[in-house]
Amino acid sequence: MVKAVRGTLVKCDASIKAMLVDIDSSLRNEFIIEELDEEHVLVKETKIAELKQRLQTMLKERLKEPDTSDSET
Amino acid sequence: MSASSSQALEYLELLPRQTHTKLYEQPSTVLAIFRCMLPHLAKSLVMAMLYMPSSLSAQDLDTWFRPTARSDKDKSISILEQLHIVVLKQDASRQNSYELSKGFARALRQALEGSGSHRSFGVPSSETDPDKVTVAFLDEFAQGQWENILFYMVGSTVGLSSSNALGRDVGEGTKALLRLGEFVKSTHARVSITRAGFTFVLQETSAQVWSLLIVYLKHADQLGMSETDVLSFLFMLGSLELGQDYTISTLSATQLQMLEDLYAFGIIYRSNEKAKTFYPTRLAVTLTSDAGMLSTSSTLRNKAISNEVSHRSAPNTGFIIVETNYRLYAYTDSLLQISILSLFTKLTTRFPNLVSGKLTKESITRAVKLGISSAQILSYLTSHAHPQMQKNNPYLPPTVMDQIRLWEYEGERVETTNGFLMKDFPSDAEYRDLAAYAESLGVLIWRNDARRMCFVDRVDQISSYLKKKSQK
Repeated sequence: MVKAVRGTLVKCDASIKAMLVDIDSSLRNEFIIEELDEEHVLVKETKIAELKQRLQTMLKERLKEPDTSDSET
Repeated sequence: MSASSSQALEYLELLPRQTHTKLYEQPSTVLAIFRCMLPHLAKSLVMAMLYMPSSLSAQDLDTWFRPTARSDKDKSISILEQLHIVVLKQDASRQNSYELSKGFARALRQALEGSGSHRSFGVPSSETDPDKVTVAFLDEFAQGQWENILFYMVGSTVGLSSSNALGRDVGEGTKALLRLGEFVKSTHARVSITRAGFTFVLQETSAQVWSLLIVYLKHADQLGMSETDVLSFLFMLGSLELGQDYTISTLSATQLQMLEDLYAFGIIYRSNEKAKTFYPTRLAVTLTSDAGMLSTSSTLRNKAISNEVSHRSAPNTGFIIVETNYRLYAYTDSLLQISILSLFTKLTTRFPNLVSGKLTKESITRAVKLGISSAQILSYLTSHAHPQMQKNNPYLPPTVMDQIRLWEYEGERVETTNGFLMKDFPSDAEYRDLAAYAESLGVLIWRNDARRMCFVDRVDQISSYLKKKSQK
């Protein structure tokens, strides 16, 4: 029988997906319902905002922002 | 079909059958829906079936289409079914056939033939109004009311003026409505704009009017109004004539209650609260068409200038120049335009008729965080490009366009869609059939043939399709 699962489809690069999986596994798998392929995961609809928030924090920690000060303003 | 009416269509599709049936009693409503909500192919189908004596069998319908156009046909039929305009019937021998819903067909015929005594197209006032107003006055009024609303939303966020001076011209009811629609939120008596609000402000005027009215409709029940009455009144407004005064004696209680709110939006004008007549403004008569909208690039001038005879710039005159070095010049003295620009530009200098500034990474990412997309910024800049810029193709320098998109992409690394994952298909054929159907409806977002899964953003029609198949 065909099943329909409610959720939010997240499309991202493979690198971002790795981070999402990382966040999910460190927090008792609360976010991800199913990993679909290299670039897609299915996430619980209620949790998507929190997941995005955590991804932002993680990106900020891991990536050094290049210096963006404009010489001329 | 335009962007503005597609919003209204989405709202209409979600209404239950009873509401549709009641709505279709009014010829003006039916004509408005037919005229501007339906895609062209659906219109042709309705027209073909309107005077058909018996129902049209599904096989006959299929012969009207080339095999390659199946997806177009499915889309049109599905819209018509959602709106309960077309009904699918099954006779004793299990033959499917389509038929127009009776109420809709009757009302549309009345609208086309001018028959019946329904008075649904409004009744012009029989007495001549001693203080008859001109079309120019109505335009001025509508524009003033509407820009006040926009400025109320944008101005406080940018911090251009103190917040109490801002909301002065906007009624309490309108403010409450903006909050209900989550276009603004107020914290500590300060109003700030939300993500939905930005999308709202950057839209065309006709789309803005519909967005606000849809919020109004959704909360009509709480205000003790009948949703059907509200909708029929709006559709009726769309068929009125600008500059003509209409009597209020044929309106229902709900519709009388609406007059005050619509006055606040600038959609209708009344000379005073006890007046027996009302005038539709340009915002009203363009609800169901896109012709001759108020120009969005017009002016919310400073008080000093507004007292002069208003010389309105011709519609579609742009005023923004963007250079390849990301500098931006805008020939405007409108506070509304300046505040919109300052949402995503680092403005540095203001002259009497010119502001200048620069698009920086900081200013763009700030805008993206507030919920404006790069596409919205670019479409705003493009649609308001200075005539000098319009000589280029594309209007904006490509480097700037690319950079704005890249800046947005840096901030936003994931793309999300709410919906349903369909899985566990018993056979490959069934999977392929459903995926193809979903694709033809335009709801398919993602598919993986190897794992026999697909993702759709709307499921109601898919499930009714599956049910129909399992009955066979």
